[in-house]
Amino acid sequence: MNANSVSLIPSRERGWRMGLANMLTKEMGTWLRTRRGWSQCLIALLLLNGSLALNLKSGQRVDQAGLTFLTIAALGVPIAAISLAQESILGEKHSGTAAWVLSKPLRRPAFILAKLMAHGLGLLIAWVVLPGGIAYLQFIVEGGMQLSRIGFVKAMGLNYLNLFFYLTLSMMLATLFNGRGPVLGIALLVAWSGPMQFIAQPMQKYAPWLDSIMPWRLMIDFGRSGPLAGYLALGTPLPTVVPIIVTILWCVLFIVVTIWRFRQEEF
Amino acid sequence: MYPTLEPHLKTSLVVNDCAPPVIETHDLAKTYMGIQALQPLDLQVQQNSICGFLGPNGAGKTTTIKLLLGLAKPSGGRAWVFGKDIVYESDEIRRRVGFLSQDPRYYDYMTARQTLRFTAGFFYEGPKAEIESRVSETLKLVGLADKADRPIKGFSGGERQRLGIAQAQVNYPDLLILDEPAASLDPIGRRDVLEVLTRLRKHTTIFYSTHILDDVQRVSDTVIILNRGALVAQGPIEELLAWGQAVSFTLTVKGDSASVEARLRSQPWVTGIEMTSKNGRVSWQIRVSDPDLAEAQLVPLALAGGGVTVCEFGRRAQNLEDVFMNIVKESNHER
Repeated sequence: MNANSVSLIPSRERGWRMGLANMLTKEMGTWLRTRRGWSQCLIALLLLNGSLALNLKSGQRVDQAGLTFLTIAALGVPIAAISLAQESILGEKHSGTAAWVLSKPLRRPAFILAKLMAHGLGLLIAWVVLPGGIAYLQFIVEGGMQLSRIGFVKAMGLNYLNLFFYLTLSMMLATLFNGRGPVLGIALLVAWSGPMQFIAQPMQKYAPWLDSIMPWRLMIDFGRSGPLAGYLALGTPLPTVVPIIVTILWCVLFIVVTIWRFRQEEF
Repeated sequence: MYPTLEPHLKTSLVVNDCAPPVIETHDLAKTYMGIQALQPLDLQVQQNSICGFLGPNGAGKTTTIKLLLGLAKPSGGRAWVFGKDIVYESDEIRRRVGFLSQDPRYYDYMTARQTLRFTAGFFYEGPKAEIESRVSETLKLVGLADKADRPIKGFSGGERQRLGIAQAQVNYPDLLILDEPAASLDPIGRRDVLEVLTRLRKHTTIFYSTHILDDVQRVSDTVIILNRGALVAQGPIEELLAWGQAVSFTLTVKGDSASVEARLRSQPWVTGIEMTSKNGRVSWQIRVSDPDLAEAQLVPLALAGGGVTVCEFGRRAQNLEDVFMNIVKESNHER
């Protein structure tokens, strides 16, 4: 009675992919089988589309309502990403489920990548595709605004890049720290430094280069140059692509550090 | 004298078997932030044995298990499971091992069936029907078939433990590593776990840590004892018990116990005495090197000074608990 004596086909995944498919299926299952999926969708719809509807109804100018929509997305999306990353890395480390699954044929990079892919996809649908699609209709129907469909999709792409930045940042922090405090504190500080004027203004004065290496300009009116997502939505040329490229590089760096650090982790 | 105190006895107790050991460690050590959790450890677990891994809390049992499974990295030494290095070939090891942790935690939203299906998914990619059949069979083995589709959030401690054994067994592992499998179980739960272990023994090697020495004596072939991060004894259980067969006697008296104890201690054939007192009576566990002499002399010695009534006297067969307690005690004195 051993693994090879029956008609079951042993898993063929090897190397860094060992256990990835199974772990990914399980992670996707948590989005579909638990309240995680619909609760994230509901929060995103209420926060993003609800506030947009209120702003448009209250007679706010459409471009202003658009800016507000992007700012709320820039503020809300990091919270969703941070809470998910905390729950899935720190929560599993503390509860012992991480040690349990890692005692099976599962490589540590696969554990991280499965979570990153599942949360990346779940958040894309809950916080970008669904509210973005509805917002597009709201702008056209309620705001009477002509928006380029491709431009709007590109703008939502930047929204997703912003989200992905905070997801990878929080996952990295969750592997570097054992407490929820530092993860939440650092990630929120990074997320809200841009939109908070009392932090943003001194930063623009003393470290103006920061707006090029941080993701703030993707979604908010940082330095009064307008959010890059706004340019894309309106179909106008981007003044710079540096923050986009740098944000992508940050994401890659965060993933590499997360995997490296998680490989050192002892359970 | 117990194997703890004589280093040469440790090695003499190692089972000599032609088959290569399933687990072998050479100077395996672990230090956490300057604290030596595991001192250089040499142990062997033979194929198809049930090996009880004993030691008081903090002895290093869980640390050893984590090292073997690649959940922690050794600070020194090497170890092999199925001849594979635990650091460099951990993937291959985990494919052939089933593990139940001390405090098993699962995803609470899953049912027992989903948990086993998920676990099986790490080992097999299909066919789906075969996996389902394996899952059902394993649930039946541990007596959870009727609760298979309930979320495990509502499971009792015993049910969780049985699920733990099921998930450890679902891949029909060549080695089962169980960390305190019967802890937190009531007597019925414990009996069930032991029954499952006994059923599995013909298919697999079982390496399990426990505090419940009764269980070890009932089901194990070999025993390894750790104390304060160091190996103090290992070997077949019969040999260990035989080593502990320095026969002991129980003597209970009422009256002037101090003078009785002084007389007992002065006898060259008395090798150890432990005293307990209750309700004005004093009892001694007396270990002796010459049982016949002791049997003839102990009561007369107790009564020799007068003022004492002997309430109880008898020879006491040692069990694993006695051996374990003495080994640990003597090893503590050594330090």
